[in-house]
Order: sequence, then C-alpha cells, then structure tokens
Amino acid sequence: MSWTCEDVRDAAAAYVIGALERDEERAVREHLAECPNPHPEIAELGSVVSALAEAVDVVEPSPGLRDRIMAAAAAEPRTRASVGSEVVPSTIPARIPIVRSPRRRWLDASPAAWALRAAAVLAIAILGGWNLLLQGQVSSLDRFQAAVASVAATGAEPGSLSAVLAGPAGTPAPRGVGAVRADGTIVLAMSGLAPTQGSQVYEAWVVAGGSAPVPVGSFSVAGDGTGVLEARTTPVAAGATIALTKEPAPGATTPTLPILSSGTVRPPAT
Amino acid sequence: MSDPRIAAPPAPEPTDRELLSGVVAGELGALEALYDRYRTMAYSIAYRLTADTSAAEDVVQDVFLGVWRNAERYAEGRGSVKTWLLSIVHHRAVDAVRRRRPTVELPERDAAPPPALTVPDVWTEVSGRLDADAVRAALGALPAAQREALELAYYRGLTQEEIAQRTDAPLGTVKGRMRLGLLSLRRLLGDATAVEPAVGGRR
Repeated sequence: MSWTCEDVRDAAAAYVIGALERDEERAVREHLAECPNPHPEIAELGSVVSALAEAVDVVEPSPGLRDRIMAAAAAEPRTRASVGSEVVPSTIPARIPIVRSPRRRWLDASPAAWALRAAAVLAIAILGGWNLLLQGQVSSLDRFQAAVASVAATGAEPGSLSAVLAGPAGTPAPRGVGAVRADGTIVLAMSGLAPTQGSQVYEAWVVAGGSAPVPVGSFSVAGDGTGVLEARTTPVAAGATIALTKEPAPGATTPTLPILSSGTVRPPAT
Repeated sequence: MSDPRIAAPPAPEPTDRELLSGVVAGELGALEALYDRYRTMAYSIAYRLTADTSAAEDVVQDVFLGVWRNAERYAEGRGSVKTWLLSIVHHRAVDAVRRRRPTVELPERDAAPPPALTVPDVWTEVSGRLDADAVRAALGALPAAQREALELAYYRGLTQEEIAQRTDAPLGTVKGRMRLGLLSLRRLLGDATAVEPAVGGRR
C-alpha cells in the first residue's frame, strides 16, 4: 500500500492540482513526510497551481454569510489543537493582543470531534429536527450545537437581527450568540455558564433605550455549561441590548445584578 | 455612527500573518478581517467548482471556521496565508463536488491540510500580482488537450481517472497532459510577469 518515489513522481501533477482520490493523496503526503529523497517535482509543478485561482469569475457571497460564520465562531471558543503528529507546530510569534478573549479548553473535545459533531448536528437542524432536538432526549451539548445552527439560520432571515454576547472585559465570562426575528422570536445559545442549582435559572432580558429591562425567558444549565433559549417577546429594534442574569427562580420581573453577559442587537453587516 | 476622524491618517493595515496570530489568540475581529479580505476570492473559487450558491457558502463557512479552530496549523515558509487559505477552499470545494457522487468515500471533515500546503512559497509573490486576464491568456495559449485536462481537474474537481474517461484518453496520457500543462503555464506566467521561474527566484 505504501507508495514508492516512482509512484509519487508519476502522480505529482495530479497531486498538486487536486486530481487524486483522497486516499491516494494521503499516500503521497505520507510518502513526502517520510521520504529521505528530494521530490523537487512537487514544487516545480505545484507552484503555479495557486495562479489558477486568479482566473475564476468574481462572485460575491451573500452578506448573511459573514454573520453566520461570526456567530458560529463566537459560539465556539477556540480550543487548542489536539496534540498529534499531523498538527504543525506554530512558528507564528505571539502578538500582544489588545482585546483578548480568554482561551479555554471547551468540553475537552478535539477539533476533529467538534467538526464531526457540528456537521452531524447541522445536518439534523437543516432537516428540520430542531424542534425534535428541543423536545427529545438528546444531550445538552447537541442541543447547544443545534441552537447555534438555529441562531445562524434565524439571523440570516430577512428582517432578523443578531447579537454576540460576551461578559465584562477581562473575565472568563459566559459568551454566546442570539438572533431575533422581526416577529420577536428570540433564539439564544450560550456557553461557559456555571451550572444552576435548585430552582436557579438564567434569565435573558431585552433592554431598549431608557426603558426597564423586559424579561424574555429562562433556562437552567447542567454541568457542561451550555444553555439554550427559544422564546417570544415584543419586537426588538436594532441597538437594543440582550443581557443575561442569574435569578433565584423563574419569573423574575427585575434583573438580579450583576449582568453576566450581554450584547447589542445589530442588523446583518452589509 | 459617523466617524469624525475621517481626516486622520489611516492605521497601517495588519498583515495576513498578524491577523492569523490574532485568530490564534482567539480574537474574533481578526477572523472577521481575514474573512473580509478573502471572502470574494474564496467564494468565487467555491462557486466556480460547485456552481451552487448554498454549497459554495457552506464551503466558505467550513473553511473559515476551520481557520478559527486550527489557525496554528498554518506553517511559515510553506506558502502565504492567502495561498494556504485558498488552497483549503479549493480542497473543500472539490470535496463538495465529489460528495455529490454516490460511490465516493467521504473524506474526513478535519482531514490533513491539502496538497498545496506542502508546496514551498515560490509562486505567491507572483500570483499576488497576476490578474485574471493574464492567467486566462496563459491557459488559452496551451494546447487544447492540456488546457482541458487542467480545467477538468482544477475547476471541475475531477480525478485523473475521471478525466481519462471523460476525454477518452489513456490515464498515462492524461498524466502527461497535466504535467506539461502545468510546466507550460508556469513558463508562460513567468514570462508574462518577468519573474525567474526557478526556485528562489522571487523578484
């Protein structure tokens, strides 16, 4: 099964342009990683491949794509890549960040496991399983991933607004994403929350202008620190704030400070 | 939300590598800036291959979330950030095209970096200055069979076996056409931009 130098030379053009089956491509990559002999043909043929990308007709993605990507990224705190032979050590010099979100391992899943899980749950969400997930016997983690997908989908609808929630600067605070439809439906996906005890709940509030905070809905949180909320409120205007507090019991009418996480509701970036 | 500092001198644009360092540090703003810089090229490549707006957007979303998760996998000296990013876009778009075929094994979502990552950074400085017309002209100057092989591979996502079937040519012939096509393209574009085609011959 292992490829020889001759095999690699023979397949070099197809390899660099992406015209091998993926298992053949892996065989070439493995050979190159271990082969003591030089393989100048790879650079010789491959160096021009990126120029082919310049010849495609220019097409712009929809404005909503940025929001979907940013929402999904915001809801997924960066994990360190799992230690493994295929991970290339970074040689990028550390830069002093001005605003830096705390890096945390999140639920100990490897990036590969995350990607697979996200793909599976996204597929379920796309197939209309979102409500089933909310009602069914699925783990809160899968529910969270599905909520992120739902937030992304909701935020992309015409007339919808979205918000990225974060805690007070400098604290490893809860973060998440939310989206509000024109009819006042809110979907919220939060992570990094302390588990609730007894009757405790997290309550979401909408704060608009100088008016009093309006309670939106509440949810409890288990050991994995994720929380999901889908609720209906009065329509929300751009510029309003979505805030999260912890309350001793459901049904609070005024927020118990401090605000644990908040974000401004914005229209999709253009 | 008007900005009163319009007359202020513009802040220096962060380089791609600075933005990538920001992503490694978990800065969402860095990811957003990188997206804004390359979304058009990324989407254009994905759309060229998939010919489907939602499939193309899925590819671009996959790639930028992959960058968010795995930015530290980018290795200096193996190509510019742009080449790295766009080669991942191409790889994922090829996956998307091939996934439509029922008989093909699905690749791992988080598979190792695509082949272009292992190609040293020879061409980047050149391709950064190339325009679409120059590349199209060079492609147009190739013998038709070579051009067809390269186009079916790069823009349609076909494997060399599929190209052989499609063009009714022996596999060995297809391999030769792709190899000669790439070498000619490199020579033509090298001439067009007056850059030595040899390794290390930048600028």
